[in-house]
Amino acid sequence: MVAENSFWVMLVFLIMGAVAPLFIRKNDKVLNWIAHGLAALGCGAAVLCAITVLLQGKFVVQLPLLLPFGTLTVGMDPLSAFFLLLVGAVGCMVSIFAIGYSTEYFHKRFPAMAGFYNLFLLSMILVLAARHVAAFIIAWELMAVVSFLLVNHEYEKHEINRAAFIYIVMTHVGTAFLFIAFFLLARAAGNMDFALLGQGLDAATRNIIFVCVLLGFGVKAGMVPLHVWLPKAHPAAPSHVSALMSGVMIKTAVYGLSRFLLDFLGNGPAWWGGLILGCAAISALLGVLYALMENDMKRLLAYSSVENISLILMGIGAAVLLTSKGQPGLAALAWAAAFYHAFNHALFKSLLFMGAGAVVQAAHIRDIEHLGGLIKKMPYTAFWFLCGVLAISALPPFNGFVSEWLLFQSLLVLPQAVSGLSAKVAAALLIAVLGLTGALVACCFVKVFGVSFLAKHRSEHAQQAREVSKLMLLPMGLLSVACLTLGIAPQIMLEILKETLGGFRGLNVHVLSTGWYQIAVTQNAAVNNSQLSMPVVLLLMGIGIAAGLLLYRICGKPGIVFGETWTCGIVPNARMEYTGTGFSKPVRMAFRAVLRPHRSLLVNEGNRASAYFGRSLSYEVGITDIFGRAYQPINSAMLLLARYVKKIQSGSVQLYIGYIMAITVLVLIWNS
Amino acid sequence: MVELINGITQSFLLLLLAPLVSGVVKVTKARLQNRRGPGVFQVYFDLFKLLRKDSVISPTVSWIFFAAPMIYLGTVLAAAALIPVLVSAAGEKYGIGDLFVLLYLLAAGRFFLALASLDAGSSFGGMGGSREMFIAMLVEPVIILTLLTVALRASGSGLALMAATAAGTPFSLPYVFAAIAFLMVLLAETGRIPVDNPDTHLELTMIHEGMVLEYSGRHLGLIFWASSVKQTVMILLFVLFFLPWPVTAAPMNLVAIGVKTLGVAVLLGCVETSTNKMRLFRVPGFMAVGGLLSLLALVAQ
Repeated sequence: MVAENSFWVMLVFLIMGAVAPLFIRKNDKVLNWIAHGLAALGCGAAVLCAITVLLQGKFVVQLPLLLPFGTLTVGMDPLSAFFLLLVGAVGCMVSIFAIGYSTEYFHKRFPAMAGFYNLFLLSMILVLAARHVAAFIIAWELMAVVSFLLVNHEYEKHEINRAAFIYIVMTHVGTAFLFIAFFLLARAAGNMDFALLGQGLDAATRNIIFVCVLLGFGVKAGMVPLHVWLPKAHPAAPSHVSALMSGVMIKTAVYGLSRFLLDFLGNGPAWWGGLILGCAAISALLGVLYALMENDMKRLLAYSSVENISLILMGIGAAVLLTSKGQPGLAALAWAAAFYHAFNHALFKSLLFMGAGAVVQAAHIRDIEHLGGLIKKMPYTAFWFLCGVLAISALPPFNGFVSEWLLFQSLLVLPQAVSGLSAKVAAALLIAVLGLTGALVACCFVKVFGVSFLAKHRSEHAQQAREVSKLMLLPMGLLSVACLTLGIAPQIMLEILKETLGGFRGLNVHVLSTGWYQIAVTQNAAVNNSQLSMPVVLLLMGIGIAAGLLLYRICGKPGIVFGETWTCGIVPNARMEYTGTGFSKPVRMAFRAVLRPHRSLLVNEGNRASAYFGRSLSYEVGITDIFGRAYQPINSAMLLLARYVKKIQSGSVQLYIGYIMAITVLVLIWNS
Repeated sequence: MVELINGITQSFLLLLLAPLVSGVVKVTKARLQNRRGPGVFQVYFDLFKLLRKDSVISPTVSWIFFAAPMIYLGTVLAAAALIPVLVSAAGEKYGIGDLFVLLYLLAAGRFFLALASLDAGSSFGGMGGSREMFIAMLVEPVIILTLLTVALRASGSGLALMAATAAGTPFSLPYVFAAIAFLMVLLAETGRIPVDNPDTHLELTMIHEGMVLEYSGRHLGLIFWASSVKQTVMILLFVLFFLPWPVTAAPMNLVAIGVKTLGVAVLLGCVETSTNKMRLFRVPGFMAVGGLLSLLALVAQ
């Protein structure tokens, strides 16, 4: 009962938040508090609803609403509830952040933004709650359109307009594939209710559905090579919306994929898992490489989302493969790793996007090469951002490490599970790819934090930065604490995951045992026996650091003299600092086959008189976007097609009436 | 609980003994270069000297710069507590040590040092940090692939379990391949000569030393000490997984491990004297050879 009631309360709050801007159009300040406050309350109710569902079991409601496709059902089962918990927890934090951040957007069509923000949250929750094909598609489309409107908020700027356009095109390509998948499912089942889907499928149809689903949700999740919209659209949106899009919205794709694989399609052949794993490995590596090359803070975070979503997909791929090999326990482990990482990524990516938003509000620039020294201007933001950076780099004792560990464990069993030498070697390489990705992520985030927050300020903007308001710091702090908590006490999340996954056939969640201080993977078949006790790790780190402090002071009171670094007699300035581009150069050179870097050095442009004195240098370096080129043929084909279609689009009403007439006549002839 | 106390004892013993291992490497190098060189205990004297000195620090730095040496030492000591030397003596099946915990603890220390290298705002520090992260990026997959040879047979990533499995079949063909690969990783990870030069003070060739260029006095002492412990941890991993023979009862086993560790230290000295440092962009090729060898080991298994 509690679950249902809180579900309706949540809907009411969010709908009120969505319509509030219609009534309060004049006073942005009041609207800011009301709209985002209602969003935060709605998300709070969502968390309550999710927790009660996880504790007490699912509920389904038949709505007295008649669609042309049958009765509409809405409900929550543990799988939806897990993702609802994610949306609610992160959404609540982001809404509080938005109260502080939105002051930037006052008098810039703010009512529209606030309303769409609530609608965006609502649509994501409806995607999770839908129990009917038509309802799901409608919610999915609502989510796409509303997020498009949010991305396109500053439509005067050409690049934002362009990014939003690419986003809406790509997301509809994805939806088209989902349409096919759902159509095939519904036709086989003869019904559109989720409870009945998955019946009467033959092997070939299942394969087609799988490929469509992977492509459809792959677009939304940002899987390479379908990711092209993501690094454009996420940075274009206002920062709190970016936090939601990167942290939460792409998880709805994970939800959709899991719903299909766990619920509708059931056990698949091994190549499904192999296909997902292959795509995920490539996309993880490319995602992090592009992130490392990026200097725009928000775009970098967006590329990093591509990488993180790939880690989640890697877990899912391993799970599908292990299920097909008849390993229910290990499959549960892999699902748990994927979902754990999904939750973690939602926490730390929204934290990092909020940090980036704080930086943008304070310094008004996103290029890390022009930031620097912010740790002194914005100490709290810097500290919370550092927590996010440590979590995303999977360093103990933060939560990213635990999910990475689980992922390692689930990949570790793959070489034994698969048969054939090449498959075994591929499985081993996959583990190495995961390790490589982890190291590249660490490198990438050393660069982000080191270049933008440490050393001297590199521009006037960075010098004038001031600490942001407490309303923005509070949610960042809470999310950091959540990251640390889920790192030290992974038992909490594992118990939730056991509830989430326990109901699905083909999974045995008992392989994941939790003790009061450790989590362990145990299997009597002795395929994987590993345990992780994060409190012990934390304790050992603490003792080690204490030992360091003791050694530091062992020979009396330490004396510190401050003196500038010797730079051959010149006063050190910010232009002598190592740049972000320089920091990533070794990696750029090592992966030049993929990244295709190019550079041009212009000396003394057009001014021969001063050949020996006061020369001007211009240096340009960049990488080639191979995916932009890959889409080029499709793009030109579409344009060519449009040119032909243009011939029948004259623009005169008479002609269109003529078309309607002709079609009607044709239909009549056809039917007779 | 017993295991935890053993682990902590072990990390303090390593803290005390690690400079000796560094000393042995130095003496070996000196002898092979026909120098008399400093004594075996010179590293202790150096550390003691540094720990008494004041620090000169750039006014640009933030708290990260001061915290980094402590965190580096802390993570390295935590990693040292996980090695199954004294820990496995407690006789539990799993042990508190896990391979990935160990690797990511070391990564955490490196992460903070690299951040600190950017903190002072000088180019050399940043260059060192960038190159250190680059080499870490090359080492990470290879080290995982190498130890996978052991981990796959052990069906798990617990260090004690892996050591016990490795001791079961010493010097089998896959392990020999993996051992060579691990030796290459060891050279790269501890900043030894074909990859990095621990003794250089020529700015353009420094990697690890460049990263800590801004440090002086006590902070530098802590970093040196931590690097020394880290090197010993890596050598111990090599000894436990790839030189498990002879396995004897507990007290003798400890002596044997000590002797083998010093032996590997001498070997490091020899390798370092007999090769020259390679260009930075040759390192990917060097590590690729290591990766291929460990793949070969996996195939042979």
